[in-house]
Formats: sequence, C-alpha cells, structure tokens
Amino acid sequence: MPNSTIASRSKQTSAAQTGPAQYRSERRFVFVSLTPVLLLFGVFAFLPIAWSLILSVYTYSPLSGHAVFVGAGNYVRMLGDAVFLKSLWVTCKFVVITVAVNIIITLLIAMAIQRVRSRSLKDLFRTMFFLPTIAPLAGTSIVWSTMFHYRDGLFNMMLAKMDIAPVQWLSDPHYALLSVIMMTLWADIGYNIVLFMAGLDSIPDMYYEAAYLDGASRWHMFRHITWPLLGRTTLFVTVTTVISYFQAFPQFQIMTKGEPYNETRVLALHIYDQAFSNSNMGYASAMAAVFLVIILFITWLQLKWGRTQWEY
Amino acid sequence: MYRRNVWIDSVVLIFLTAAACIMLLPYGWMVLSSLKSNMDIISGKSGFFPEHPSLDGYKTVLRDAPFGKWLFNSAVSSVIITAATLFTSALAGYVFAKHHFKGKKVLFLLILATMMIPFQVIMIPTYLITAKLGLINHLFAIILPNLVSSYGVFLAKQFIEDIPQDLLDAARIDGTGELRLMLSIIAPLILPMLSALGIFTFMSAWNNYLWPLIVLNDMNKMTVPLALVYFNGTHVVNYNVVMSAAVLITIPVVAVFLIFQKQFIKGLTMTGMK
Repeated sequence: MPNSTIASRSKQTSAAQTGPAQYRSERRFVFVSLTPVLLLFGVFAFLPIAWSLILSVYTYSPLSGHAVFVGAGNYVRMLGDAVFLKSLWVTCKFVVITVAVNIIITLLIAMAIQRVRSRSLKDLFRTMFFLPTIAPLAGTSIVWSTMFHYRDGLFNMMLAKMDIAPVQWLSDPHYALLSVIMMTLWADIGYNIVLFMAGLDSIPDMYYEAAYLDGASRWHMFRHITWPLLGRTTLFVTVTTVISYFQAFPQFQIMTKGEPYNETRVLALHIYDQAFSNSNMGYASAMAAVFLVIILFITWLQLKWGRTQWEY
Repeated sequence: MYRRNVWIDSVVLIFLTAAACIMLLPYGWMVLSSLKSNMDIISGKSGFFPEHPSLDGYKTVLRDAPFGKWLFNSAVSSVIITAATLFTSALAGYVFAKHHFKGKKVLFLLILATMMIPFQVIMIPTYLITAKLGLINHLFAIILPNLVSSYGVFLAKQFIEDIPQDLLDAARIDGTGELRLMLSIIAPLILPMLSALGIFTFMSAWNNYLWPLIVLNDMNKMTVPLALVYFNGTHVVNYNVVMSAAVLITIPVVAVFLIFQKQFIKGLTMTGMK
C-alpha cells in the first residue's frame, strides 16, 4: 500500500478514534503493562538505593537482627579506618594504572588492525583479541591464578627459561596488584579495541589524503587528525572503563582475596567482605554510599567535559 | 588512504601476531593443563605440555561434580532472564515512546538514573529483600531482580520513537490490540536492537558471579561460574580437574560467540554497551 494512503486513512480515523473507548483501552494498556515493570524496578532498584542510604546511618548485623542508629558514626569511623583508606588508595591506583594502560594498548592495537589490508585477517585479529571478554571472569581468574603459581605456573616457567629467579606473583606485595592488572587487561581490552575500531572507521579518508598531499608526517596525522577526531570515542571509552574498573570484583575476590597486606583490597571487595563475611551491613552501606558519590562524580565529569569537547 | 609503506605494514603485522599469540596463551595453558595427568602434577616438574596426556581431569569433573546440574541452573536462569528482559524492555520502551500519561517524564528519568548505580550500592538491601522473600539458595533469587533492565528500557524507547506514528495508527484502525501491535509490528522493526540486547543480557547473566555468590550456597543450586570457583577451593592440588571444568564452561560461551559474532560486534558499536 502506498504511504500516502496509509497517512490519509490514519488521519481520518485517528480523529474519529479519539473517543472515550479508545482512550480507555489505551489507559488500561499503559496501566497493565507498566505496573509489573515498575514494581520490579521499585523493589529491586529504587527501594534498595533508599534503603542503602538509610542503612548507612545504622549499625546493622543480619545475625543479631536489630539496628542501632549511629548518625554519621559510620562515616566518621571510615576516616579513622586504615583498611578502608588503604582500599580507597588501592582502588584509585588500580583504576588509574589499568585504565591508562588499557587506553594506550587498545588504541595502538585498533590502529594496527585498521592498517591490515585483508578483510578476513582483520576479522581474525579482532576475534582473537575479543575472545577473552566473553569468557566468565570467574573462570578466567582461576586459570590465571594457576598461571601465577610459584612452583609450576606459566610465568615462573618462562622466567626460569630466561634464568630469572621465580616471583611470588600473587603473594608478594610488590607484584600482587600488578598481577591482577595484567589479568584484567587481558580479560578486558577486547571491548575497547572494537569501540576504537568503530571510531577510526568514522574518520573520513579525505582528511588523511589532504594531509598527505600537504606532506604531513605520520605523527602529525595522528596528532592533528586521528587524535582530535577520536576525542568523542576516547572520552566514552575512558569513562565507561573507569566506571567498570571501579567495580572490578571477581578477579580480586578469587585471585588474591585482598592479600598480601591489603595491597589488593579494592573498595568493591572491602564492601563485600564487610557486608557478607563480617556482617557489618551498616558500615558496608556507608562505604557503598562513598562509592556511589565517587561514581556520580565521574559521571558528572563526563557530562561536563563531554559538552566542551564534543563540539568540533 | 595515504601511501602504503611495506616496511611499516610488516612491522604492524608482526606486532599484531605477537600480541594475538599472547592473548591466546592462557587458553593454550588452560587446555594443556586440563590434559595433564595426576602423575605430571605430583612430579612437580610439569612443563607447558603434558608429559602423559590423559582425560582424567574431565572424567573427575563429570563424575564427582554435579556438572550437568550446574549447566542446567545457568542455562535456565540465563534464558529466563534474557527472555523476560527483552519482553519488559520492549513493552516499557513502547509505553514510554508512544503513549502519554501523567508522570511519564519523571518515571523515565528515575529508571534512567538507576543505570548509574553501581551494584555494590544496592546489593546489601537487595540481599535483605531476597532473604525476606525466602529465596536464598533458590534459582529465583538470581532471576527475580534481573527481569527488568534500565538500559534495555532506554534502548527500546530510543528505537521505538523512530517508528512512524502512522504505521501504529493504521494497525489500530484494523483493530489490532496494543499487545499484539507491540509483538507483531514493533518487535520485528527493532529486531537488530533486541538481538544485541539479548546477546548482552544472556552473556552477563551467564557470567554473573557477585550476585550468585551472595544468594547461593548450596552446591546443587549454584550456577557455573560460582560452582567453578567453589570447586577450585576443593580441588586445589589436582588442577587438571579444575582446568577441565574451566574448559567445559568456556566452550559453550566461545561457541555461542563465534556463531553470533556479527550481531555481537554490531551491537557493541551500535549501543556502545559494556
């Protein structure tokens, strides 16, 4: 049926159909379909957020079952809690290092893959880098912890081949965080490679051609074409990666449990331990509130920077 | 593109090949370790390759562990979560995109706002609610909080808004009910978005570790990632057994990915989802 017919027909009848019956049935549909959905959001999203904030001013243990109001007590306690402060520090260290290395590696690899001429070879590389991202992180963490074994792990085997003394990857305070960072990068770079590849695809070739005719060097092309035009992608990739690394949990819980000397005790793990191993749910909720403020702050930064940088 | 430089091209190719090999190394390690016999492990001098390849690890997993039960738990919960999320997202997306009612803007903003909330913030109250409902150690504890997705609602609304109003009006004149309209006209039109959302929802449900860790303790109720970690704790010495389990749970995900790779990559760039 030609479009014009549909349009004219609908115009006639939608005027005729704004009667009370049509209106009522639409109202009923909205009500019936939205109620269960909103109920689920209410019980498993809105309510927990409010409850979490309320819980943060109580001391509450599910074992004893009764809550004691402590006001800002939990927040004050945090300021003097060396383990909490350390976990905050470790989290920042982990996020900053891992995100920075992630962005550099993924941008390099994405640009390298874009240079490959054969379509099928390009797809093959992308698949190989992406494969680790789809495996369950819990399983990956176990595989990596066997690779980090002191006696018969892969890494010490390779060091032995090079006549280098073996390293206690996961239990030496100098290497533990580094080991988890290596594993996290392996498990996660696939996403950003794909996103950067899409970003590179959207830069028109004519810019490079013009720059080439002007005799620009490769570095100049990268500095003045690729990098600025990739700004939006880079910002998006950075923010989502920062937020996801702040919440990194399985690799820490499985590989190191926060040890040695809390060198790998990130905030996400500390909150989990306080809530479910030590049953300090009030205190854990207060830490979760701090966590929330950090995440919201990063999101606010994204909106702020995004507005200024996206206009080119 | 600007002039090709054969020299740089080959350096790039070598760099990529080396990097790709590093990426595949842990998989090689996992598969080869799973084939090691107990003799290799006890001797303590096991290298990269198994000296006496054997399938003992696989036999032990399948015999000593309720592996089938774990797969079943993971499959059932992930399929239900995915199907429900697609349905509720499309439904709510349709209502928010094409219907008018009081408080619509505020409700939508509220749902949108939950996207920014890290799970660590809501996990404690959600655990308390789940416990109150008597669902601890029940598969429903995993399914119930995941039947809706704020991201799904957001995406569906964006895509449904682009559908011309005339098309919906025409169908309404023909007497199509609202639900039928959504299922038979809107759903097919947003199929690319739905399939991307479906793949991502399934993957994250299948791989989810933190929430099952909180609500499931019974070994028979566990989902695969959780069970694998639990199993690791009881089989530290015989890591050929643990590696075999890891191989067995990785194969289905890799297979699913290789089949749906096109939609997956498209979905990732389309939605910018992580």
